[in-house]
Amino acid sequence: MSSTKPKIAFFDFAGCEGCQLTVLDALQTHTELLNAVEIVQFREAMSRSDDDYQIALIEGSYTRPSDEVRLQEIRDQAQIVVALGACAHLGGVNAVRNAHRLEEIKNYVYGEKAEVYEAASARPISDFIQVDAFIPGCPIDREEFVRAVKSLLQGNAPDIPDYPVCVECKLRETGCVFLYGKTCLGPITRAGCGAICPSFGVGCEGCRGLIPNPNMASLREVLSENGLDEMSVKAKMSLFLTNQIATSDMEA
Amino acid sequence: MTAKILPKHAMQGWIETLREHYRIIGPKPAQSQYVFGDIHSADDLDLSYPTSILPPKKVLLPQREDLFRFDSMGDTPIVEPTFDDEPTVILGIHACDMHSIALLDRVFEKGTTDQHYQTRRENTTLVSLECTTSCSEFSFCKSMGTLSVPENFDLHMTDLGDEYLLEIGSKKGENLLRGFNEVREATDADFERLNKVMSEKWSHFTYRLDFDVTELPALLSLSYDSKVWEELGDRCLACGACNIVCPTCYCFDVRDEVDFSLRSGGRFRVWDSCQLDRFAIVAGGHDFRDTRAARQRHRFFRKGKYLTDQYGVVGCVGCGRCAQACLVHISPVDTFNELHRRRVPSAAAQEEALA
Ligand code: SF4
Ligand code: SF4
Ligand code: SF4
Ligand code: SF4
Ligand code: SF4
Repeated sequence: MSSTKPKIAFFDFAGCEGCQLTVLDALQTHTELLNAVEIVQFREAMSRSDDDYQIALIEGSYTRPSDEVRLQEIRDQAQIVVALGACAHLGGVNAVRNAHRLEEIKNYVYGEKAEVYEAASARPISDFIQVDAFIPGCPIDREEFVRAVKSLLQGNAPDIPDYPVCVECKLRETGCVFLYGKTCLGPITRAGCGAICPSFGVGCEGCRGLIPNPNMASLREVLSENGLDEMSVKAKMSLFLTNQIATSDMEA
Repeated sequence: MTAKILPKHAMQGWIETLREHYRIIGPKPAQSQYVFGDIHSADDLDLSYPTSILPPKKVLLPQREDLFRFDSMGDTPIVEPTFDDEPTVILGIHACDMHSIALLDRVFEKGTTDQHYQTRRENTTLVSLECTTSCSEFSFCKSMGTLSVPENFDLHMTDLGDEYLLEIGSKKGENLLRGFNEVREATDADFERLNKVMSEKWSHFTYRLDFDVTELPALLSLSYDSKVWEELGDRCLACGACNIVCPTCYCFDVRDEVDFSLRSGGRFRVWDSCQLDRFAIVAGGHDFRDTRAARQRHRFFRKGKYLTDQYGVVGCVGCGRCAQACLVHISPVDTFNELHRRRVPSAAAQEEALA
């Protein structure tokens, strides 16, 4: 094994920085991480900033045309690009705005200054650059992040679950929230969070994105059978899934 | 039959005595449902539980189980298997779940014995509990022939009101009562009370299968090309819940996790589900059951035919957990009845109808 540790850099685009905070948490509980890698850029935690890195972890979504240039610069430098969290992976909550006309949104948010600010529809970073791996979630799961880093160090793609949240929910014997008159996107959402939301009695909002081949039609029926009207179903699915649903509905 | 009588008020004392030698697992309330979990005192235990989210199978085959540790740091790589041999008692196992354990015993001893399962199984004592009322609107054990406990219990409890009658099934079961003097020998009067409970219980259960369970494997053989599978596949969410809660499902996935050294780590297994989208993908990327319909068919063939063909016992014990867990109301008994309703009539029956 080479004695030089892989150099890692963190970048943020539009997001709440909650995923980077989770990384900070992970560095405190898994101090071995610091022995295994060298962090050369991490605005959330240090002032040093070095552009010599092999692995780039990008938090946040694309929201402005100028983001594309910066994303491309990172892609050109890094050997491995990882989308960190729901914003980078899916466009995140930011993509709620995609359902509205951009001009309206800009006027609503910036008022008279609307013309001063740059804005575009919120997109996953993979719409602009090639992404080698993603760590889903809003925020990311600390343990999954640690496992993902180990996989990258081994030269493997992180092993992110491709089955739905229901599996983890049942494995930990959580009472299904549908039994308590609530609704849940667990059956179509990628697991890996340990079904944390249902374990606290609230339905999954889909922050980890869709599983491959979700049965959207059937889940819509389940939601309507459990009292959600069409508007509410749409609202529920737009919190994290706006970009993915637009694609999966086009394919359907 | 050797039997003892345990007054209900002595339960606490019995649990205290048992805890000196065993870890005790039993049904206890969790949110508004029940789970099998650690029992520290009689207050934790609720033997009147209807059914549990996961079956007691999870004690013998845990959801996640370490298999071995490896370390290749030194000159010779080290591989050390992990076994759990903690003496354990499972209290209050219903008949259907006892049937499922009988099946799992056969599965894990066939071919190369699964030593991890075997070690747990040998160190586990099974205390079953007579079902006297139907546990849920979803169960159909009477139809599957699993409403009476099989002979694999170590101790079997029947609720006689303010006492339990304990039938001793093995040396292991007998050991649970050793050194505990609040039990007494059962008398003829006790056996009469037992007979009364046993003869009255059957009317509290209904037959839900429209045909005899022995016809099930043949019915499935005729139904391979049925439209039913497509219809189920359209509804199914491929969420895996039905497999995870099933007492007779035993598929698992094997995974490794390394330490930061990248040279040492562990191998473990976790439960898997044949309903999941990627379950049947093999090396090279081919998926030999790539539709939900094919996976539903596979699931019901496992439950109604394949396991019976291989192990001579029914693969669905009628516990109803999967039907309860399924958000799109797919249930084995309804599925089997629907296949029966649409079955291709045999030549003889056709002739009879024409005559
Ligand atoms: S609570 Fe949600 S994730 Fe859990 S079983 Fe129910 S639908 Fe699935
Ligand atoms: S349960 Fe759903 S919303 Fe909650 S963390 Fe998991 S994927 Fe995200
Ligand atoms: S529980 Fe129901 S929806 Fe989920 S995989 Fe099983 S049959 Fe399909
Ligand atoms: S298939 Fe369903 S009813 Fe049959 S044993 Fe499994 S969970 Fe119980
Ligand atoms: S399905 Fe039947 S045997 Fe199983 S717990 Fe319910 S009543 Fe008892």
